[in-house]
Amino acid sequence: MSILPFPSFLDDIKEKGFKRAVFEGVDDIVKSITAGMNIQDIREALRGEAPSRRPNPRLQPHSDGFWLHMRPSFFHKDMTGVYPTFRLGWLSTYFVFFETITGMFLMVWYTPSPQIAYGNMVAILSNVPLGQLMRDLHRLGAEAMVLIVTLHMIRTFMTGSYKKPRQFTWFSGVILLFATFFLSFSGYLLPWDQLALWAVTIGASMVEASPPPIVGETLNLLLRGGPDIGANGLLRFYLLHVLAVPAILFIFTGVHYYKVIIHGHSLPPQKENIGEDTAKRVPLDKRVYFIPDVLTSEIMWIGVTSFILVVLCVWFYHAPLEAHADPQVTPLGTTAPWYFLWIQGALKLGDKVLWGIIFPTVVLLIFFAWPYLDNTPSRRYADRRFALIVCFAFMSSFTVLSYMGTAEYGVNTTADQQIFYYMAHEPAHNRMGIILPVPFEQLPAGFYTTREFSAEEGMKESAIAALNEALYGTELGKQLAEQLKTEAHNPAFNLDATNIRVRPVPQAEAPRLAYVMELFEKQVAKEDKELYNGWGAVLITDNQDNLKRIDLILVWEAIELENGQPILDENGNVKPILKEDGTPVYNISIKHVFIHRDAAYFMNY
Amino acid sequence: MLQRLLIDRIENRILVGITMFVGIMILIGWVAINEGERMRSFANQFEARSIEFGAELFAANCTTCHGVDGRGIGNFGPALNSPYLFGHNYFASINNQISAINAREAQLIAEREALMQEFVNANDARREQIRARRDEIEAILTGEDGLAAERAAVFAERDNLLNSLQPAIDLGYPQPTVNEDGTVTSIYSRLAFLEWNGSLESFIYTTLVHGRPTSKTYWENAQMVSWSQQTGAPLRDDQLRNLTAYIMNWDKGNAWTIEDALAVRQYPLVPVAGGGEMVAAAPPVGTDVDAIVAQLDTVVGDPVRGEQIYNNQQRSQLGARLGCGGCHLNGVAGPAHNAKWDHFFTERSQLPQFAGYTVQKYLVESIVNTGAYIVPGYAAGQMPGDFANRMSLQDMADILAYLHTFSTVDPYVPPTPAEPSAEVTPEA
Repeated sequence: MSILPFPSFLDDIKEKGFKRAVFEGVDDIVKSITAGMNIQDIREALRGEAPSRRPNPRLQPHSDGFWLHMRPSFFHKDMTGVYPTFRLGWLSTYFVFFETITGMFLMVWYTPSPQIAYGNMVAILSNVPLGQLMRDLHRLGAEAMVLIVTLHMIRTFMTGSYKKPRQFTWFSGVILLFATFFLSFSGYLLPWDQLALWAVTIGASMVEASPPPIVGETLNLLLRGGPDIGANGLLRFYLLHVLAVPAILFIFTGVHYYKVIIHGHSLPPQKENIGEDTAKRVPLDKRVYFIPDVLTSEIMWIGVTSFILVVLCVWFYHAPLEAHADPQVTPLGTTAPWYFLWIQGALKLGDKVLWGIIFPTVVLLIFFAWPYLDNTPSRRYADRRFALIVCFAFMSSFTVLSYMGTAEYGVNTTADQQIFYYMAHEPAHNRMGIILPVPFEQLPAGFYTTREFSAEEGMKESAIAALNEALYGTELGKQLAEQLKTEAHNPAFNLDATNIRVRPVPQAEAPRLAYVMELFEKQVAKEDKELYNGWGAVLITDNQDNLKRIDLILVWEAIELENGQPILDENGNVKPILKEDGTPVYNISIKHVFIHRDAAYFMNY
Repeated sequence: MLQRLLIDRIENRILVGITMFVGIMILIGWVAINEGERMRSFANQFEARSIEFGAELFAANCTTCHGVDGRGIGNFGPALNSPYLFGHNYFASINNQISAINAREAQLIAEREALMQEFVNANDARREQIRARRDEIEAILTGEDGLAAERAAVFAERDNLLNSLQPAIDLGYPQPTVNEDGTVTSIYSRLAFLEWNGSLESFIYTTLVHGRPTSKTYWENAQMVSWSQQTGAPLRDDQLRNLTAYIMNWDKGNAWTIEDALAVRQYPLVPVAGGGEMVAAAPPVGTDVDAIVAQLDTVVGDPVRGEQIYNNQQRSQLGARLGCGGCHLNGVAGPAHNAKWDHFFTERSQLPQFAGYTVQKYLVESIVNTGAYIVPGYAAGQMPGDFANRMSLQDMADILAYLHTFSTVDPYVPPTPAEPSAEVTPEA
């Protein structure tokens, strides 16, 4: 007999008493949420006790629930240590979710438009509470994910886990590897700063090289939405980054996981007989159940990894944001993202089509096809010398190619531009020109020279006096004044060059400037062949009350060059170019920067 | 321990996990507490970087007219680094002092009036008090340290200021007027003069985006053009923001000195009445290259006028300033003007796409169809594409004649002057 006209919870209370009825009601709800485990079962599991009822309720979530049907219900005991998995597969999955969550926060503040995107970045950093932390986490997570996924692949190769029956697991893994690469790469463009634009320009220009030209041009148009990366290209990269590639990634993560359920984790090679796969036949005493052992372990590692990432982002790592993207200004030393440096390095070997397209494609095909090519049954290290040699050869050649991809390798720049870069380049890749972090107060207006620092102790005064004489009212002085005025728009000297006055760096007042001048001198001295009889100068002028203008000046005598390198005579000396009257021809190079009191470069130093 | 699950005991795993999650929450909370300060400091740093970028743009684009120090160049561009632009009122504090003296005086006179009225009906003791107070007031009004003396001192200061500002006034700083009460009225702000209702920042930014449409009626030698990519000019919006930040950084607030006003080389001009000028009716040259080249034979180019059009000293027959020299003189931003004619013979004519071209055809195409060929080393899309509608056939011929004068490969021969026609009747 119901209390209400229909059966209800009140009947339960009447029948069992309030406390018991509520407890059983909650117990039922917990049981349906966990797809099989009630409160008592969870308690036992978390206490590390054996299950008190049969059939084992800890297996039920695997068979009845959605989430755990993708995880094996028990692992082989030999699989739960650090070796052989190093937890890399699990970490990769962790980063998929980590990146999705942090990425969704960033999406709220982002519009994929060249007019707005950079402003969005500035807003995230200056006006969104925890915005910087979220961006740092997303960026650091992305770099870490590329690294982890690559290591996961190397590990799988080393232990031969791609062998029968797991060929397709490997195949889907390669898809995930490249999806990860492309996700990270497409995210590079979104901040729309110089780093983004030029790194992606390098990457996308390789697509353009695909033969025949019609294919390359079409692919390039499809990817960039125009001959250059602009509004269309940014939108396409954004959609690839937040929709298309994640969709592929999620689908194949599912496939990859399903294959792990089907075939089980491969055991360490030496634990199995050759040609046998015992992953699915785990003896009872070797079983480690997912609930509770593996589950608690994984949740703990989510905590530990997230904590490490947060600590890194709070104190040690900040995602770079460079100057606004400018297609007209190519920064010196532009490189692709580090995980694509190997392609950039390969490009320096020669033909763009061969090394930029065919080579990476062949690498990709080898990755995909490897488990089908290598069908020897043994997974033991001793039986796989050739495969391991291939693996190490790959890794070392990729390391070498990556080094060749850096700006230090094989890029010819004139000595003066190189020195200017060293002195005053825009902050990029968390590095900057050495003069930028000089504190504002240590930039007293004046004209200073490296000759002061190349002179021996006690000779500094006379070195400066000699230089003043060489400039005062002379041809060289006039040339310098003229070039400052026309090229650099700085009329600091009047045209007859009678008020050029070099003065010594005030050491007590500006020790940091003196230090930088010393380094400047060392650079000039290092290039004494190309910059024949060269000297450098720094001209500091007050532009506004809180803004200094710094002109870096290099003066050297012209010499004969071939392909940018000095021609040497039999004694190893350079050949100066002289005017008809025997006086040297001077080359003058000028670069200037502005430094604002609040730019706080020195805080990042 | 490394053999299984790293941390073997389940309770330790739970402990470590909870500690980590609590640690994350504490860390994020700690970051959140400091977020306000961090965001402020980033905003400051970013503003400073913006000013640095703006300084770079100003040096490259603006100094030719506005001066390296932003103090203007005579007849070219007005000062931006000027108390007038930032609306500093040199007389604000003196006006306050004078007003205060006037108010005090009015108050004392009113008090004296009231006392005098009370005096009529007051008893002797009260009358004595009133007399004493009246003498006091008299002393304050006219005494040696009284208001009159104070006023004389402030007036002297005011006249000093007026005198020292005189050189700036002669240069165009608005003439202040002295009112009856001794205060000074002046249109000390450029924005007030223009009756601009927005902020100074929006005024500067808007001027950068759109140029100054009226400036051609009074800046004869140079006019403010649009700089924004929105209108086909070279600068992006963020660059215009940087430039604006740089110009705004000249503001000294209350610290502007007389020296700043005197250092200005050029104040804004006031436009003369009217605007524009009559231009000859001539059809635009159009974009049909072959037709233009064919018609060129019918006109004689004048290299002198060509040079003037080229360098913005004269308008085209359609009333436009073409300003070719702004980019091409000495090859600043486009191929150098003095090498163009010869380069056709030495370089371009070797290229397959220019087979069958004459030098005239090449140059005409380059002017009216700017995207047809981009000289290596220069960016596409830099040269405006509307010259076909801004110049006449005669303008084209004049410019070609001017470019021809630099040629060494194909030396320029001036045309023989035509015989004066007998049919020309003198103007009656």
